[in-house]
Amino acid sequence: MSKQETLIRLQDVTVRYSKGTEALREVSLSVEKGEFVFVVGCSGSGKSTFIKTLLGEVPVSSGNIIVSQKRLDKLKRKELPYYRRTLGVVFQEFRLLEDRNVYENVALAQRVIGVENERMKRNVSIMLEMVGLAQKSKAYPKELSGGEQQRVAIARAMVNRPGILLADEPTGNLDPENSWEIMGLLDEMNKLGTTVVVVTHNNEIVNRMQKRVITLNNGNLIKDEAQGGYVQ
Amino acid sequence: MKTFQYGLKQGIKSIWQNRLFSLAAIGTIAICLFLLGLFYAIISNFEHMVYNAESSVGVTVFFDAGISQEQIDQIGREIRAYKTVDKVTYVSAEEAWKKFQKEMNAEGGELEDTFGEENPLKDSASYEVYLTDVSNQENIVRAIQDIDGVRKVNSSNTVADGLSSFNALIAYISATIILLLILVSVFLISSAVAAGIRVRKDEISIMQYIGATETFVKMPFIIEGIFIGMIGAVVPLVVFWFVYEKLIDFILTHFSALSQWLTFVGASEEFRVLIPMSLLVGVGIGFAGSAMSVRKHLVR
Ligand SMILES: Nc1ncnc2c1ncn2[C@@H]1O[C@H](COP(=O)(O)OP(=O)(O)O)[C@@H](O)[C@H]1O
Ligand SMILES: [Mg+2]
Repeated sequence: MSKQETLIRLQDVTVRYSKGTEALREVSLSVEKGEFVFVVGCSGSGKSTFIKTLLGEVPVSSGNIIVSQKRLDKLKRKELPYYRRTLGVVFQEFRLLEDRNVYENVALAQRVIGVENERMKRNVSIMLEMVGLAQKSKAYPKELSGGEQQRVAIARAMVNRPGILLADEPTGNLDPENSWEIMGLLDEMNKLGTTVVVVTHNNEIVNRMQKRVITLNNGNLIKDEAQGGYVQ
Repeated sequence: MKTFQYGLKQGIKSIWQNRLFSLAAIGTIAICLFLLGLFYAIISNFEHMVYNAESSVGVTVFFDAGISQEQIDQIGREIRAYKTVDKVTYVSAEEAWKKFQKEMNAEGGELEDTFGEENPLKDSASYEVYLTDVSNQENIVRAIQDIDGVRKVNSSNTVADGLSSFNALIAYISATIILLLILVSVFLISSAVAAGIRVRKDEISIMQYIGATETFVKMPFIIEGIFIGMIGAVVPLVVFWFVYEKLIDFILTHFSALSQWLTFVGASEEFRVLIPMSLLVGVGIGFAGSAMSVRKHLVR
C-alpha cells in the first residue's frame, strides 16, 4: 500500500439542529485513503447526521471537517456541487428516478457533470457491468428487486469515479442475501481504491467483515476499533 | 450546451406532467397577449388615421401686406425646399374671397378660426402647405414663420387633437388592463413551475447529491417557463394572422360611410411590430414567473 493520506478529518465536530438537538458532540476522527469504515449505533445516535455533514448538507456548529484537504465550513455555495462530485452517496431508500430506466438513472450522474455522449455511454456500460446489471439497462426501477435497485444506486454513485463512497444504511431495506451482495459490492469498490464509509444497523455483517468500526451513541463517538464488532 | 439540451428535454417533459397548470398559464398569457395585440392594433390604426387626418388638413401661410408676387414666389421656393413638405398650393386673394363667401353661405359664419383676424381682402393670398411627416409640423411651422415676408402661419389640427386624446385614453386603459394580466400571468407561470418543482422534488435532491450546479438544476424550470410564455405568445399571433385582414375588410364594407377616415395599417407592417413584441413579452413573463418560483422553491 502507498503511504498513508488522511482523506477525512473531523476535529471536535458538534452539530446542533435548530430545535437544540445535539446530533453530534465533539466528534473527532480521521479516515485514511483506501479505508473501509463502518459507522454503527442505535437509532437517533447521529449516524445520518454524520453522513449529511460530510455531504455539506448540514453545517457544523463548532469544530471543523476537512475532506480531501478542503475545509467544509469554508466551502462557498457555488463550490458545493463541485465538492459533491468527489463523493458518491447511497441511501437506504435507493432514491432512483422511477420514470427513467436503469441506464438513464446511472447516466444522470454523468450528465450532471457534462460528460460527452460517447464517453458517457462507455462509462455507464462499464459501471453496469461491474454491478452485474448490464442485461437490465433498459429496465425501470419498478421492474427490479430491492437488491438490484440498490446496485443501480451504487452504479450511479460510482460512475463519476469519486474518491469516497458514503452509504447510509444501504441494506436497511434488503433481505439478508441481498444485503450480503450489496456489502460485497461495496467491498469490491473499496478494493478498487475507493474509500468507503458505511452506516449500518446490521451487526451480523459488521461482525463478519472484520473492518474498522466507529460507534456513535447519542451523538458521542464512544468506540473506534480497527477490527471491531457491533453488539446491539 | 449539454446543460441546455438536458434542460430543454426535462422542461418540456415538465410542461406535459403539469399540463393543467401549464394550460392555465398558457391560456392566461394568450389572453393577455391577445388583448395586447388587439389594443396595439387599435392604437396603431388610430394613430395612422390621425396622421392622415393631420396631413390632409395642412398649414396655411399668409404674407406681409403689399408684398410683390416675386417675393411670394421666392417664399414658395423656400417652403418647397424642406424635405418633409409634400405639396404647396397657391391660393390667390380672389380665390380665398370666393371660398370664404361660399362657406359663409353654407354654414353661416365662424370662419375666424381658420383665418384668425384676417380679412378676406387683397392681402389674404396664401400657400396651403401639406407635409409628408406630420410629426414634424411644429418645426416646419416655426421655420416658415422665420422666412422674410411671412406674416402668419395657421396650423389647424383640432380634428387631429381630438383623435389623439382619444388615442391616449385607449392607451391608458389598455396599459392598465395589460399590466394586470401580465401580473396574473406571472403568478400563474410561477405556480405552474412550482408544481413542476414539487413533482420533481426527489429528482432535484438526487441531482444536488450527485453534484449538479444550480444552473443545471434550475435550467429545466426556467426553460419550462419560457416555453409556456412562448406558446402563450404564438397562439394569439396565429389568431391575428388569420383574422386581421378579414376584420379590416369587414369594417370597410360595413362602415363605408366613414371610409374617408378609415385608413388602416397593412398587415405586414402591423406584424413587424406585433410578432417581436408578443414574443418578447411572452418570453419575459415566462422567464420572470419561473425565475421567481425557482428562487422561492429551490433554496437548499
Ligand atoms: N433535520 C433535523 N432537525 C432537527 N433534529 C434532527 C434533524 N435530523 C435529525 N435530528 C435529530 O438528531 C438526532 C440524530 O439523528 P440522525 O442523525 O438521523 O440519527 P441516526 O441516523 O443515527 O438514526 C436525532 O435525535 C434526531 O431526532
Ligand atoms: Mg439514519
